[in-house]
Amino acid sequence: MKLGLVIDLDTCVGCHACAVACKEWNGQSLMAGGAPDYDPYGEEASGVWFNRVRHFEVKASAHRDGESGHVNLSRTVNVPMSCMHCEEADCVTVCPTGASYKRAEDGIVLVDPERCMGCNYCAWACPYGARELDQDAGVMRKCTLCVDRIYDPALPEPERQPACVLACPAHARHFGDLDDPQSQVSRLSRARDGGGMLEDLGYKPVNRYLPPRAPAQVDTRAVADRPSGLKSRLADLINRAIAL
Amino acid sequence: MKPALSVVFFTVSSGAGLGWMLWLLLGRWAGVVLPEFMFSLSVGLAVLMFVAGLLSSTLHLANRRNAWRALARWRSSWLSREGVFALAMFPAGALALYGIVNGVGVLEALGGLLVIVLALATLYSTAMIYACLKTVPRWRSWHVRVAYPLFAIASGGLLWLLVAHAVDAAPAGARGLAALLLLACAALKYAYWKHFAGDAGALPSRAEALRLNGRVRLLDAGHTGPTFLTHEFGYVLDAGRARGLKWLSLLVGFMFPFAIVLAAPAWMVVAALACLAGLLVERWLFFAEAQHVVRVFQ
Repeated sequence: MKLGLVIDLDTCVGCHACAVACKEWNGQSLMAGGAPDYDPYGEEASGVWFNRVRHFEVKASAHRDGESGHVNLSRTVNVPMSCMHCEEADCVTVCPTGASYKRAEDGIVLVDPERCMGCNYCAWACPYGARELDQDAGVMRKCTLCVDRIYDPALPEPERQPACVLACPAHARHFGDLDDPQSQVSRLSRARDGGGMLEDLGYKPVNRYLPPRAPAQVDTRAVADRPSGLKSRLADLINRAIAL
Repeated sequence: MKPALSVVFFTVSSGAGLGWMLWLLLGRWAGVVLPEFMFSLSVGLAVLMFVAGLLSSTLHLANRRNAWRALARWRSSWLSREGVFALAMFPAGALALYGIVNGVGVLEALGGLLVIVLALATLYSTAMIYACLKTVPRWRSWHVRVAYPLFAIASGGLLWLLVAHAVDAAPAGARGLAALLLLACAALKYAYWKHFAGDAGALPSRAEALRLNGRVRLLDAGHTGPTFLTHEFGYVLDAGRARGLKWLSLLVGFMFPFAIVLAAPAWMVVAALACLAGLLVERWLFFAEAQHVVRVFQ
């Protein structure tokens, strides 16, 4: 098994509900040991987050393409990032104490707080900023893929998913086995050209990101060079009346 | 990368201590006879520098109670290997010391050889802790693997020469060898900076990293205050300041001691101290200049 997330960058609205739900669940978690806050109501509020959402702008030259008549528009892409549960997880390789480990049965990368000495070396080895030091306990924290939810028989089956996935109002997050080509996540990733982040480093991240779909293309010539007959003026009038 | 002073001090102090130890053992075998008191003092100070460095390196640990566990993963982790080699040096050193004190040549040779091999292995492991990280392009080069052991041997050599010169025991070629090492250090560091002056060592673009088409800029990093990530990887070194510090480390660390070793051996103590000071600046720069790939997302 290769458990992981498929995140749809087309539908993610950047609301941070996944990050907050993660914080809410793991702040209490026995498995992760908590994600503490420092000075939460102060000016320099800070703390440990297993999942952070960044917002990027993809700039486009906003001029009309002469040939196609299409206008290229800039767009915002919201990118939630957490542990990618890499197949070649260097964070595990570099760990001197053996506190960081990757589970053979499902591929989840975890930290054993009983063994961690807080040297930060694993965080240095991670390109995704997925590991953060818990200053209170002196140990490294990270996404557990909610290992204490997904196998919990006390939960109703639809709830045996990571907290971030359940919280997402845009259904931009999907959880499943990426080893199984017939799983919903594998099919989704295949259909939408899902890919890993920074694949060149060779870490083989398991989490897949579905790229934003190309925006609907409108031929603006049709709007700009519209005919000026009686029919179109009448249509204009009706349109304006509706707009009132 | 954040230049942690405890790690900067550790690398310079431990390195010089190990380098000094190498020269003491090799010098002894090459027939350089230091008075017993000076030899013992040198060994004591070299061990002190090495141990002080090791202790300093534990200062940046957030959970020192588990530091002993760092020896566990020597089969995969360079940090673990460094610890194993460094600690193995104590029984090897004790063996050599027993041989020297009691005049048992075989034990001295065996222990000494072990210390030399383990010291070189420790220095190389320390260099590899940084060189093995795929996330810091500026550390992925052969320069990084060679530089740290070379700097340790050069700075330790100056300390050894200082003592040997003070008691008039320095052999004829020793000064020339030390000068040559310093020159090699300067050339290597210059080559490193030259190598990474252009696009080599640059981070991937945001568009590449995120698999997006077009020019990508960060609108919002998603947090209002400082985070572990900005604290650990957010350090930005001003280019002008970097240039000044580069020259400072080259001149003070290598070229100034080079001139003293060749022209004014009576001032050897100044050469040794200048070299150590220059190396502190060089190690600080080594961290401050390195950019972690997570910066692409910040």
